[in-house]
Amino acid sequence: MIEVEHLRKWYRVHRREPGLKAALRSLLHRPYEDVKAVEDISFSIGAGERVGFLGPNGAGKTTTLKVLAGLLHPTEGRVAVGGFLPQERAREFLTQITLVMGQKQQLLWDLPPSETFALNRAIYDIPRAQYEETVAELTALLELAPLLGKPTRQLSLGERMKCELAVALLHRPKVLFLDEPTIGLDVSMQATVRTFVRAYNERFSATVILTSHYMEDVAALCPRVMVIDKGRLIFDGALPDLIRRVRPDKRVLLRLSKPVEQRDLLPLGTIISQNDAEVIIQVSQEGLQASVARALSTLPLRDLTVEDPPLEEVMRDLFAQGNAA
Amino acid sequence: MMRLLRVIRAQLRASLALALQYRLEFLVEGLLALLWMAVTLVPLLVVFGARGTVAGWSFAEMLVVLGWFVALKGVLEGTLSPSLMQVVEHVRKGTLDFVLLKPADAQLLVSLSKIEPWRVIDFAGAAVIFTYAFRQIGHAPSAADLLLSAALLLAAVLVLYSIAILVVSIAFVAVRVDNLLYLFQSVFDVARWPSSVFRGALAMIFTYVLPLALMTTYPALALLGKLNARTALGALLGAFVFAGLARLIWLSSIRRYTSASS
Amino acid sequence: MMAALKAYPQMLKTGFAEAVAYRAEFLIWMFATNMPLVMLAIWAAAARSGPIAGYSQTGFTAYYLCALLVRLMTGAWVVWELTMDIRQGTFALQLLRPINPLWQRSADNLAAIPMRGIVALPVVGILLWLARGELSHDPLQWLLLCPALMGAWLLYFLVQASIGTLALRFESASSLFDAWLGFSNILSGYLIPLDLFPRAVRDIALFLPFRFQLSYPIELMLGRWSRGEALELLAAQWAYVALFFMITRFAWRSGLRHYAAYGG
Repeated sequence: MIEVEHLRKWYRVHRREPGLKAALRSLLHRPYEDVKAVEDISFSIGAGERVGFLGPNGAGKTTTLKVLAGLLHPTEGRVAVGGFLPQERAREFLTQITLVMGQKQQLLWDLPPSETFALNRAIYDIPRAQYEETVAELTALLELAPLLGKPTRQLSLGERMKCELAVALLHRPKVLFLDEPTIGLDVSMQATVRTFVRAYNERFSATVILTSHYMEDVAALCPRVMVIDKGRLIFDGALPDLIRRVRPDKRVLLRLSKPVEQRDLLPLGTIISQNDAEVIIQVSQEGLQASVARALSTLPLRDLTVEDPPLEEVMRDLFAQGNAA
Repeated sequence: MMRLLRVIRAQLRASLALALQYRLEFLVEGLLALLWMAVTLVPLLVVFGARGTVAGWSFAEMLVVLGWFVALKGVLEGTLSPSLMQVVEHVRKGTLDFVLLKPADAQLLVSLSKIEPWRVIDFAGAAVIFTYAFRQIGHAPSAADLLLSAALLLAAVLVLYSIAILVVSIAFVAVRVDNLLYLFQSVFDVARWPSSVFRGALAMIFTYVLPLALMTTYPALALLGKLNARTALGALLGAFVFAGLARLIWLSSIRRYTSASS
Repeated sequence: MMAALKAYPQMLKTGFAEAVAYRAEFLIWMFATNMPLVMLAIWAAAARSGPIAGYSQTGFTAYYLCALLVRLMTGAWVVWELTMDIRQGTFALQLLRPINPLWQRSADNLAAIPMRGIVALPVVGILLWLARGELSHDPLQWLLLCPALMGAWLLYFLVQASIGTLALRFESASSLFDAWLGFSNILSGYLIPLDLFPRAVRDIALFLPFRFQLSYPIELMLGRWSRGEALELLAAQWAYVALFFMITRFAWRSGLRHYAAYGG
């Protein structure tokens, strides 16, 4: 569905320095510099896949997304989406894709969302029957019924996002580009958005590409992740593999039936936290079996669980490593 | 008082730096200010190309009115309007709280939050217009007239400022106040002519309801030595009462805003 | 193009809904269009002692009320919308729709006409009441007013669209539009009837595009030209429309190329 070969995207920008003097100087001479937003990225994504783009701010995620959507032309390399060259902006291409940006909206601010629906029906030339079916379906899935008649400005952020998603999907696109779709939403609304995107993906076997700051989004939605850092693709694979690679350790959570001495715990691994009833220990992948066996035989346990390190921590480590390299 | 001045200076510096960030815009806006001054002058030239006096005003006298108009428009569009648009933006985005939290008078912060430095050209333009007008008249204004007209100018700026503050006070109640500001800006265009051009009801409105006469006609008359002391005093008094009123309304709407948004 | 035309009725409907939602703003914007009345005041005062260049007090009244009408009926604001969309980044979303966003903008502007008509109607009433005698008696020329107003609006819209597109390159293209407005105010007959300019200036102004955006429809209403001349001028106006259409197209394409290279 999506083929990217040796994609490069450079911008030339003028450098702005703070302060009055620098501003005055820049009236006469304006320094330029090249920003290498994307540096030689290649990948391919099959139809129906859900892929998450991970990376710190300014890593090149959104740039890559915009190149895929045809908004930006690649400086070098070849990009094909659904058999089209995105930058040609063919009508057939545009009717197959959609872009949702968490911070930008296409809903008309002072009119009810239903008005934007009607407008998009005309713009995408959606057959009446299909339109009505899609609207009914989206309304049911996202519980839009009470929202469609209210002016957009009166909706809460979460309600607006639901309508924003619906309007972006009216034409049943085959490729969804989601740029920070859950930004600013509360936890339950984030979950709603995730469930919905997944349902849409399964129902229409649409390809989904997501960028998000919330690891939960990526963990819940995307079997495959791509880590982009400083314009380069540094990982492409399943999330558990990524975690294993960055943090090859596990966490053993022990629930105790009675307090134990610290020296009894030390042989198991590194203690992360300890109180009378609960202990968390960090254990290397290889030492896991021995530690668990030892804990089971020597400690007064009520319960024992083995977990991956928290995702946010994995990410922090990942980009800290990247910055050190 | 010193702190007040420091705050103003810091705000001006920030605005200047911001304005200079946009190189092209800086040049363009400077040229634009000149262009619009020319646009203001053309009708006057054409009108007086056809007539020696209009409504009792000679060309040179009318130029004095226009000089004040250009200067005040500079004040309005160079400081008040952009700052107040900023407030409107604050109210819309809900970031006004940041402004209110700062340890300085909110009215001051708000009304000087953004300036457009190229508008200085308006003052230069006004000075050129005055010089030319008094060359034509043949004698410079007397010191007393200068003083009186400076006092009246102060009153004019005060009234202008108060109207702007009133408009913003409304912003707390009705959100889309940028349009009101825009409306006021366009009504202000009336002040390019002396108030005696208008007759009947319009003349009354522009003297008492929207005191446009006070903004350009009175300072011009003062500079020409044609304003009697009683009108001058009345105008000054009126301006201060107006400003006080605006301040009161501002304070009460700020109170309402802070109690409502908590 | 065909797709855009097919979607156009719905775009107009949405545009109208927007105009209704913004009715209070519309009212204010239109009240802010008071420059012709301000100019009328000075000319009326100047013409108290007798007509100027063929304009009596009633003549000036007729001229400026017509100017107000044309202004009210040919409003466009696409330049502000474009610069705003580009600065806020919502432009990207519009660009991904399969129809050029300018179509939607033109529909928005056109759909506001009924709304504007409501404000313009009293002006028509006052015009008929105060200066009926000054108006054209030729029904054909009143008929010509329709395409002339359409052309005037299109000129205004296309100029705004081409300048607004420049916002893709420059931080703020709206000041460029401001400059254009400055020239337009003088050379379109908005501030002063072109007849009152010195001959040389007038002759130049008659050829420039500004005139066709405002003065020409006024001239039709005031019956300044014979039928043949009026038709010739209409052709000239539409030639300018065609020219600015090409300019807009070019500006749009090159703007998009720039946008695709540098990002929003």
